[in-house]
Amino acid sequence: MLSRSSVCRGAQRALRRQCPHPVQRRGLAAPASGSFQYQTGDAKGVKFASRDLAGPTTTLALVSKAGTRYQLLPGLTEGLEKFAFKSTERRSALRIVRESELLGAELTSYHSRENLVIGAKFLRDDLPYFVELLSEVATSTKYAPHVYHEEVLPLIKMTEKKLLANTKEIALNSAHSLAFHRGLGTPVIPAFSAPYTQYLDADTIEHFSEFAYAKPNFAIVANGAEHEDLSKWVNEFFEGAHSQPPKDILEASGEKQTKYYGGEERIAHGSGNSMVLAFPGSSSFTGGFYKPEIAVLASLLGGQSNIKWSSGFSLLAKAAAGPGTTVETKSAIYSDAGLLYIAINGTASNVAAAAFEAVKTLHSIAGGKISKEDIKKAKAAAKFKELEYGEDVKAGLELTGSGLVHGRKAYQIDETAKSIDSVTDEKIKAAAKTLLESKACVSSVGDLFLLPYAEDLGLKV
Amino acid sequence: MSQPSLAPFILKRPWLTRWMKPLASWYSDAAGYRKLGLRADDLIPEESEAVLLALKRLPPKDAYDRVFRMRRAFQCSLAHQLLPKEEQTKPEEDIPYLSPIIKEIEAEIKEREDLEAMKVFRPATAPAKKASPTMYH
Repeated sequence: MLSRSSVCRGAQRALRRQCPHPVQRRGLAAPASGSFQYQTGDAKGVKFASRDLAGPTTTLALVSKAGTRYQLLPGLTEGLEKFAFKSTERRSALRIVRESELLGAELTSYHSRENLVIGAKFLRDDLPYFVELLSEVATSTKYAPHVYHEEVLPLIKMTEKKLLANTKEIALNSAHSLAFHRGLGTPVIPAFSAPYTQYLDADTIEHFSEFAYAKPNFAIVANGAEHEDLSKWVNEFFEGAHSQPPKDILEASGEKQTKYYGGEERIAHGSGNSMVLAFPGSSSFTGGFYKPEIAVLASLLGGQSNIKWSSGFSLLAKAAAGPGTTVETKSAIYSDAGLLYIAINGTASNVAAAAFEAVKTLHSIAGGKISKEDIKKAKAAAKFKELEYGEDVKAGLELTGSGLVHGRKAYQIDETAKSIDSVTDEKIKAAAKTLLESKACVSSVGDLFLLPYAEDLGLKV
Repeated sequence: MSQPSLAPFILKRPWLTRWMKPLASWYSDAAGYRKLGLRADDLIPEESEAVLLALKRLPPKDAYDRVFRMRRAFQCSLAHQLLPKEEQTKPEEDIPYLSPIIKEIEAEIKEREDLEAMKVFRPATAPAKKASPTMYH
């Protein structure tokens, strides 16, 4: 099948296992027990999903459709995230922290472009306590002005500063805003000291919370909890949530199909060099525009190594023009759109060389000059990544919750894995061709003298 | 800020309240701060952590008005004059705007101290019982 000189024995074995073996075939993609499937339910308008993984701990999360995409004013999501687990009508922030410390739990809150996730990890027995805690956060947090000024605002400033020197994040945010303008294009964390805090105060955050924590807009997802238990406690504690989001926000945020634009942006920056080449990608599996070939294309281009001390075998890993230069290809999926991006990071000349190489590689994929072997490897890697990602509790929770909230279905990793299997070489070739024909988003951050323009790369913007 | 006070004792008894009210009104009027346009809460000494924090937490409008009242009173005091009758603080305007915030802060401090001094124990009767929110306090 493969010569030993080109691929090590382990890879051979891995590839061999891919061949159809009807008897043995029972990988993660087709679990017999069904324990990877989420069970879903509805408790008086609150959607919830759970899967009962065996183990002594539970991860519980409230996933709300309140990511930066849905915020009406800049910084609202950030503010709401930082207000999680602050004083509620019933107990103070200090008490919440101390109590969860006593129970040995971990509280987290974070947001992405689409979702706000408020979660907790704890011992299995403490499920009722934490369901109640999440319901308290959602329904009776006190949005006091002094809490905003004393605790929330400094935290927002801190996250802002953290990204100030991160050229890769800046380039990614820029590429997203080029691709989607408003909505999905809103930066996850404002990387510049933009005057956005002028829109923020406790009252506007409270108003936004009525949108984020209205029953149709959030879902409860649990990993490692019995479905009946979760159902019982969600029924009991989440009755007080608003049944409808406020009309004005609903009208303003209105569900619009995301449109892809494309373009070029160049930002001078002193602390590093990054380029992001982005193309229209695939929506999430639960969304309407799912294209499995994009995931395979991303892993075919690759760039990141799975092995320590090696640059890896993917096409772009070979293109990274020197040590210290990293290339990474990712298919960022959102509920109704997606972005396939190649992020290059390193010294200016290396970044420029790698960018040229990346475009050349895309052309050779579109021209069908890629060996079957590489595509096979890429499919295996894409499938593995997908399954691993779905299995990863944190990512799985967010995907499942967001799938539920968007009114469709929970994220089922088995089905996505199956659809990756169905990708053919022709499809990949066609996908690469459409990418090159469509408008690209090119954002360069760093030493603009050396970083090339999209025109030089031969990309349409 | 918290000094011993008879007020809660009296307020609990309506008959006593009714009896003491005219006396209290007379006393606060005789104290004279209203004639300088101040409110009772303007007289709280600022030299404590809790009060300083409470002052920071005042809404901007309240903080501005407070400074205005104080400067006006200071000016009156320098000029050895009282404000004209219509500018003096009326009894219904003399509301506590700062002390609720101070009480809140003191409660926060007390809660922190209580939690620091807390002893954690597991109820001996039902060790395997499911945790309930109140079991540790």
